[in-house]
Amino acid sequence: MIHFDEMACLLYLEGQLEPSREREMALHIGECDTCRTLLHALERESHVLAVALTEDNEPMPARLLSTRSWGVPSWVWTLAFGGFALGAYWLWAGTVDPWLQQLSNAGFGGTDFMSMLVFSGAFWEGWSYMIEVLQVLALVIVGIAAIGLLRRRFRRHTAIAVVMSVMALALALPQRAAATELRHDESVLVPATEVIHTDLIVSGASVRVDGTVEGDLIAFTGMLIVTGHVTGDIIAFAGQMRMEGTVDGNVRVISHTVSIDGSVSKNVTYIGNTFDLTERGQVGGSLISIAGDADVDGHIHRDVLGMIRRTHLDGGIGGQMWLRGRNLTIGQTAEIGGSAIFSGSRKPVVASGAKLASPLHIETQEEERREMFEAIRVIVNEIVGFGAALLLGVLLVTVVPGFFHATLRETGRIGVPIGVGAVALLISVFLLALGILLIFVGVGAGVAGVLGYAPILYVSQVFVGAWLGSRILGETSSTTGAIIGRIAVGLLILHVAGLIPVLGGLIWLAVALWGTGAVLLGFYRMSRAEPAVLSA
Amino acid sequence: MNPADQASEQELIAKAKAGNAEAWGELYRQHAPAIFRFCRRAMHAREDAEDATMDIFIKVRQKLSQYDSSRPFNAWLYTVAANHCWDLLRRRRGRQDLETGEIENMPLEHPDPGQLEQLIEKSSSQEVRRALDQLPARARMALVLRYYSDMSYDDVAATLGVRRAFVGVVLLRARHQLRDILGGRGVDGGTS
Repeated sequence: MIHFDEMACLLYLEGQLEPSREREMALHIGECDTCRTLLHALERESHVLAVALTEDNEPMPARLLSTRSWGVPSWVWTLAFGGFALGAYWLWAGTVDPWLQQLSNAGFGGTDFMSMLVFSGAFWEGWSYMIEVLQVLALVIVGIAAIGLLRRRFRRHTAIAVVMSVMALALALPQRAAATELRHDESVLVPATEVIHTDLIVSGASVRVDGTVEGDLIAFTGMLIVTGHVTGDIIAFAGQMRMEGTVDGNVRVISHTVSIDGSVSKNVTYIGNTFDLTERGQVGGSLISIAGDADVDGHIHRDVLGMIRRTHLDGGIGGQMWLRGRNLTIGQTAEIGGSAIFSGSRKPVVASGAKLASPLHIETQEEERREMFEAIRVIVNEIVGFGAALLLGVLLVTVVPGFFHATLRETGRIGVPIGVGAVALLISVFLLALGILLIFVGVGAGVAGVLGYAPILYVSQVFVGAWLGSRILGETSSTTGAIIGRIAVGLLILHVAGLIPVLGGLIWLAVALWGTGAVLLGFYRMSRAEPAVLSA
Repeated sequence: MNPADQASEQELIAKAKAGNAEAWGELYRQHAPAIFRFCRRAMHAREDAEDATMDIFIKVRQKLSQYDSSRPFNAWLYTVAANHCWDLLRRRRGRQDLETGEIENMPLEHPDPGQLEQLIEKSSSQEVRRALDQLPARARMALVLRYYSDMSYDDVAATLGVRRAFVGVVLLRARHQLRDILGGRGVDGGTS
């Protein structure tokens, strides 16, 4: 007897055979045990397949079931963003701006203080170039992000996220000039007759520059003496440094002692033990210093900002002065052109002949008590910070569970949110720079949008904490109590780890990048899903 | 679905088309679990299934005005879901599955009915689902479309982009691959 093949049997079972062939088969199976058994087996297989496929073995995920956020229209999300912006403005108006105002009153007005720190190149002259690069980069990033959003393929773009992170890291590194001369010896001397037409990087037990460097001088040495002319900056890591020549740029030094007996056209930044500006010494810009002792006999044309244990001032300061330390002595030959403020544990001594544009403002404190209060403040801050973050987490879980779960899920992808967070950081740095510029020209409100980033940064810890808690206590289905427990555990770990010096800072940085990326992705998910699926 | 339920569903759809959020919410509540389960069967990862469910309902909401009410809503919904999932799988995997010509030419061993019965009897639903997860995308999708969504051969062909005459071949080949996995022999021929 000729049997039907399996294909024919399956098509027969599924009613897909031609009518004539179907009739033929119906007759055949009435007589053929083999084909009838095969048909029966195939039928059983179909049944088993259908049961296995249709069986309800897995509950709907919470974010798809989240009925509490049903009916949330798209304008609510717009309003939420507006709320963030308002919150940011409140933060600015209530906290940051008064703080800057205080500084301004103390003699470090926005134009002087912020520009001194950020824009005038007190720390690094490459800021202006970096801002230009950031502007271009921000545009590129926005473009790439827009393409990513339009393609709706974020998950497939982990590679892009990684590239962005690398770019962020690369941008964070200072860029040096391409043309540089390197010298290394036990003792390095640039004689008075020599002119170096490029940057000079030099290292050795002692370095002496009597000649001219037409660029930056970067030194790593036990003893640095400069009697010649440096047209760029001096950046030095030295045991001791003596500057008797002329510097057209800035001087930035980390050393045990530094003595400036020459002329610096721009700013001096010093970290070390002893700073000495001799009578002949001139600083065209400002002095920023963290030091044990400072003796200022020469002239500083602009401001002084310092955390100096003991300061003796006999010279002149053209701008304002803000000092924090233990002792301050102002001699009778001293002159201060702007306002002056001293914050310290002992009362400063001001000679009667000293010429001060305004009376010295003194803030004395008992140091020990201050340190104790500082320690208590740190602990209380951490506890309050933990409580506030936990409360925020509870609110998010209960009020916007859909958003919470969407964001938590994004957090679990680790690589993508960190990449997105890095991109957001880059963009926000650019916007922040823009915002600061706006402040200087009096458009403070312009930063409200810029500071929308701050609340997102704050919220980020909740999601990273929740993720961490889930990793430790295990995944949970969706009960609010269990989720809150996991948030609490995660936040506790983060806040305790955050207290570790240096590592704590790095942890918070990672949390900020990671969580920010997750929140932004969560917003993205919800802005797509909620209005269309769940609401009108 | 009885006529009263059908009428009620059509009423909901009409209201949802008119922009009634509550009606849309009700439609979503009724159909989302089944569509999520469909996506869960079709996609490998749970996260993908969740995303796909959301995306499908976004599409459905957008295309609701195009829905022909003479056709069962469920069938239309599954068509949208199937197209979306298959589109995702295709884009992610590329054309890794065997082409129809190759499938057609690949010989299939005639099964021993007794052994087949035995294999079916000893396999639990969970084992079958695990085995399904190991199938190549097209084989899994074909089985899901046919035995979960109860789609016609025409609709399966349209979704998978194969000729109708090959649907039976794709299904039979998928069954063979599934049997091989359940029998501990792994997947032959196809790739996942």
